Formats: sequence, structure tokens, C-alpha cells
Amino acid sequence: MGKSKVGYNDIEKNDIFDNEFMTHIDALYNFAYKLTHNEDEAKDLLQDTCMKAFRFINSFERGTNAKAWLFRILKNSFINDYRKKSKNPGMVDYQEVETYYSSDGGEIETQSTPDLRSETVKGMLGDEITNALNSMAVDFRTVIILCDLEGFKYDEMSKILDIPIGTVRSRLHRARNILKEKLAAYAASMGYK
Amino acid sequence: MGAFVRWIQKTMMSKKARCPKEEYWIELVRLMLDGQTTDEENAYVLKHVDGCYRCYDNFDLEKAIREALKNKLINIKVSDAFIAEINRKAKA
Ligand SMILES: [Zn+2]
Repeated sequence: MGKSKVGYNDIEKNDIFDNEFMTHIDALYNFAYKLTHNEDEAKDLLQDTCMKAFRFINSFERGTNAKAWLFRILKNSFINDYRKKSKNPGMVDYQEVETYYSSDGGEIETQSTPDLRSETVKGMLGDEITNALNSMAVDFRTVIILCDLEGFKYDEMSKILDIPIGTVRSRLHRARNILKEKLAAYAASMGYK
Repeated sequence: MGAFVRWIQKTMMSKKARCPKEEYWIELVRLMLDGQTTDEENAYVLKHVDGCYRCYDNFDLEKAIREALKNKLINIKVSDAFIAEINRKAKA
């Protein structure tokens, strides 16, 4: 977050908010919903994000990546406010996830990736893909969402998540292995060949 | 190299045919699909993938998963009423 010299006047603030921030409102809401799995929480999270964005608008530098800036606010709000309240057992701390996997040399998910055919994935329904994604720990789900759904590059994800690019890369690699396993397990349970 | 070689491999070799450096190539394929590699690196990856049945399969699967994520998940549109409410609260 760069700029701190001069503040924007009211017209500029409204202009930035309306034209640079609000264009990402749907993407922000869908990100919030995929994090919380709950419509009301997603709405609260979106509202909080927008309120913070307007309040701290002077720290946004015009012409820079508004979408990444907003996603970062949303992700921080989620971690600080929502995740603490949530009782969802699928939610693990970022640090825990990193420690858990690195202490095992990352072998867990590379040992025996079950076979999954691309044709099977092509035939899957949206609900089936959604279930697989939702059953992942939020930290892994997040990198998949940011990269595959929102099209952020690694350097942007690094800023949004406050982690080094190398960690983005390794977390994403693990997340993809886990997702593949979930899809394969799901396909097997449904008797897909 | 290409379709014919893969057809031979597919026909002659078992489905379980492994690539000795499968994990290495999967990671490179992912970096390539994520747009994190140079043209030179892409050529290096594609050259292997094109001649290796197992890695070609993985490449196909990686693309299918990405497409499924992009195209099959529901995207909700925020209602105009809620946008108006957000505007009002944020600018209050
Ligand atoms: Zn190979």
C-alpha cells in the first residue's frame, strides 16, 4: 500500500470507489462466499471490505491494481474477524498448514495420486466440483480461487496473502494435488471410470 | 512425435505407465499453465509432454480441472439493492 502524501478530495474518493472498486463487487462477493460458505457472512464480509476500502482509500494509489488491493482487504478481514468466530472444523491456520506439510516433506499428497481422467472431470457437474473445492482447508481453497477463478498472478497472490512467492508456488502445488485427490475420490465413489 | 507416438504408447503400454520424473513435470506443467514460465521453458516442457504418455495425460487433466473450475462454478451477482446499501454505508 503506497501513497500517503496527499489525500484525495471527496469527488476523487467517490470516483475511485464507484469506478475502480465497485467494478469488482461480484468477484469480491463470490470470493467471500467461497471462504465463508454462508450467505450472511459473505454479505457482512463484503460490506466490511467496502467500508474499509472507502475509509482507507488514501492508501490506494490510483492506477494500481484495485482488484488485488480489495482482495487483500477482504482476506485480512476474513482472517481477523470471521475466521476467529467461525466454528468450522475445516478451517486451519495458515501457519499450521505450512508446518504440517513441510514437517512431512510434502509426501502426504505426492505418494499415491489416484488416477483421474480428464474426460471424467469434463463430465462432472458444477456441484461436484464445488463440493470438492469446499471440502478443502480454506488456505488451500484460497490459492486455487485466487489463481484459477480470479486469474491473479503469483506476485499478486503474494501481496494479497502476505506470503513470499515461493510459498504461493508451493501452496498452490499442494492445493492442486489435494483437489485432484478429492476429485478422484469423488469420481471413484460415484463409480465414474 | 505427437499423436501417433502417443497412440502407440497408449496401445502398447499399460495405463499405469509411469514417468520417472512425474512430479517434476507436473509442477512445471502447472507453472506453465499459470503463466509463470518463459517461452523457452514452455518449449522445454511441451517437448517432454508431447513424447511422454503419462505427462501428456497429466497435462490434459490439469487443463480439464482448470476449465471446470472456471466454467462450472456458480457466480453470484450482487443485487442492485445491496450495492446501494453498501454505497450508502461505506460513504456515510
Ligand atoms: Zn513424463
